[in-house]
Amino acid sequence: MPTWLTLAKGPAFLFVLAVFALGLLRLIVLTVWDILAAVHRAGNRRMPYRQILRQTLSWLLPVNHLHRARPAYSFASFGLHVSILLVGLFLRNHLDILQANIGFAWWSISKPILDVLTLIGIAGAAFLLLSRIYVMSSQRLSRTSDYLLLLLLLNILVSGYLAGRDWNPIPYDELMLFHVLNGMALLLVAPFSKIAHCVLFPFIRLGAEVAWHLTPRGGSEVIQTLHGPQGRKI
Amino acid sequence: MADSPSSQSSPMTHHKYSYHVENAGEGNHRAEKFLSAFAAILRHSNYRFIVELFARTTARCGRCAASCQVYQASNDPRDIPCYRTQLLLDVYRQYFTSSGQFRSRILGEDALSEAKMDEMAECFYRCMACRRCSIDCPLGLDHGLMTHLGRYILSEAGIAPKGLVVSVREQLEGATANTSAIPLPALLDNLEFLKDELRETKGASVDFPVDQENAEYIFFPAVSDYLMEADTLMGNAAVLHATGTSWTIGSQYFDGINYGLFYNDWILERIIHKLVGEARRLKAKKVLVGECGHAARSARQFVPTFAGDQNLPVVSVLELTWQAVKAGKLRLKPGVITERVTYHDPCNIARSGWIVDQPREILRSFVSDFVEMNPHGRENYCCGGGSGLVSLDETHDFRMKVSGKTKAEQIRASGAQIVATPCANCKKQLRELVDYYKLPVQIVGVHDLILRAVEL
Ligand code: SF4
Repeated sequence: MPTWLTLAKGPAFLFVLAVFALGLLRLIVLTVWDILAAVHRAGNRRMPYRQILRQTLSWLLPVNHLHRARPAYSFASFGLHVSILLVGLFLRNHLDILQANIGFAWWSISKPILDVLTLIGIAGAAFLLLSRIYVMSSQRLSRTSDYLLLLLLLNILVSGYLAGRDWNPIPYDELMLFHVLNGMALLLVAPFSKIAHCVLFPFIRLGAEVAWHLTPRGGSEVIQTLHGPQGRKI
Repeated sequence: MADSPSSQSSPMTHHKYSYHVENAGEGNHRAEKFLSAFAAILRHSNYRFIVELFARTTARCGRCAASCQVYQASNDPRDIPCYRTQLLLDVYRQYFTSSGQFRSRILGEDALSEAKMDEMAECFYRCMACRRCSIDCPLGLDHGLMTHLGRYILSEAGIAPKGLVVSVREQLEGATANTSAIPLPALLDNLEFLKDELRETKGASVDFPVDQENAEYIFFPAVSDYLMEADTLMGNAAVLHATGTSWTIGSQYFDGINYGLFYNDWILERIIHKLVGEARRLKAKKVLVGECGHAARSARQFVPTFAGDQNLPVVSVLELTWQAVKAGKLRLKPGVITERVTYHDPCNIARSGWIVDQPREILRSFVSDFVEMNPHGRENYCCGGGSGLVSLDETHDFRMKVSGKTKAEQIRASGAQIVATPCANCKKQLRELVDYYKLPVQIVGVHDLILRAVEL
């Protein structure tokens, strides 16, 4: 068996999968717990849950939103998201690896469709990376991790795409090793980077609304902590 | 405003920011004070989890840059909503998370530097907390909430605009108990004057009841209306009269303004307690807020939070008038208003979708030439003076050239001769824009137009 396949079916990969899944699960549990506690402490516990749900869902398939602000960037980003999710979760080869590691998997999407999606993903990631490098507003916002994550995604998408081509100029096993290592790196950092939004997304709008529901006496407790019982003048 | 090294050592630190601050001598140890204030606020409030959640997920995609009128006008990167939010998230990560503390020890990251403090003090007062950017954030980050929190922490560290602080001091600790320092006798005189005016112009005897117990509504306008917006108040009273509504003004406390919403939760809560206290003293059943965006939102949102029970509903005068129009209880004469009219949405009541259609339906019922600005409603642009900025004269230049620029362009493009807006702050800012950009329009309240058309 080539190194990459041994790696992908071995304990190291299982460990990475566990970090990924448990790490994200931990974030979900913590966030739900925090939100429940905040609702409990709030002076007014009535929240516009339906409105929040509607807004959150509308961003899952953001067709009405994309063109409104930075359209090119938004479409590139949407393409990248769709690409990663579908190719990542529904490629036969990926599911085989999953099957080998945890003993079960699900149905796959046909290869030609995923090939097109991979190309969309590559174009999207490249566009986002170039924007971060060249567009002033993105430049000022970007941190090292933002560039590195996009590079990581590009590595994965490009190597994966090449591996499926007969004209691939790079030795197959080396290419696949590169693909697997980058994939493992992505899974490993997911719970500790902004990729966490893949599971925390549904809680952000809800959380922002809950946070506006202030805690009674919170303000005076802050004053007491800072200035003691005599408080402060305005 | 970046400060020169010389101004840092001078005792005139109150010129440090683009707004005036009191306690000029206390400019030192800002960072320490900021961190203790941040810690205390995280401990006693609901903010910790949301800062944590934002810090974990923020993608820095920059879509918000396209929806913020401040950044669009200034092109200054520090006005990008997400950039400003990161300032606060960075402090949080570095000082209040274990991984951040570890990281900063390893990498020897900068402590909260003087420059960082300056940047935060400046940036949080270049955002009007209009929350327009949250509409376009794919993740749903609320940068207005971060501005609110950032200002709260700054204020507990001693950095708050003098214009807001002085008003609030008079409201909560002063003799007149209102932000405009109107003594009670002057208020009563004013009400007599309004009564006479209404008798003369409308030929009706419209009452301004004071201290009537058990009324349906206790009325809290932005108190500055008593000094500057006679037509708005007369319009309010005319509607209440025409609909036979029982209402009262409280003599002990009659100010709807709540600057706490703009910079400090402790202040916010104390003002709500005053308002609720007066309503309870007079055994009023509901709170009626006048034409004022932030007053309406702060009462609506925070009376249920701080009043301890849900038994004191808060109603905006626009809702009341709209009900009356729908029920056919108001006779508004068509043809009185011949000018072209547009409506400016105050962010504090429109962004949540609370009051968007009601004023439009009221206006359309008697204004023949009504036009919309684009965009409007939930997606409106702020007047440029939101979050208290309009009360700070020293921000005039910024409000005219930067934050209000988009609104001025929108108004010009609408071709309207009258802009109606139900907010004391918006009206002040829009009038200044009209002067500055020489716009051929008149700025009025919604009830000013109702007053012209109503038949009593
Ligand atoms: S809240 Fe309004 S002013 Fe502040 S950053 Fe967002 S859009 Fe700009």
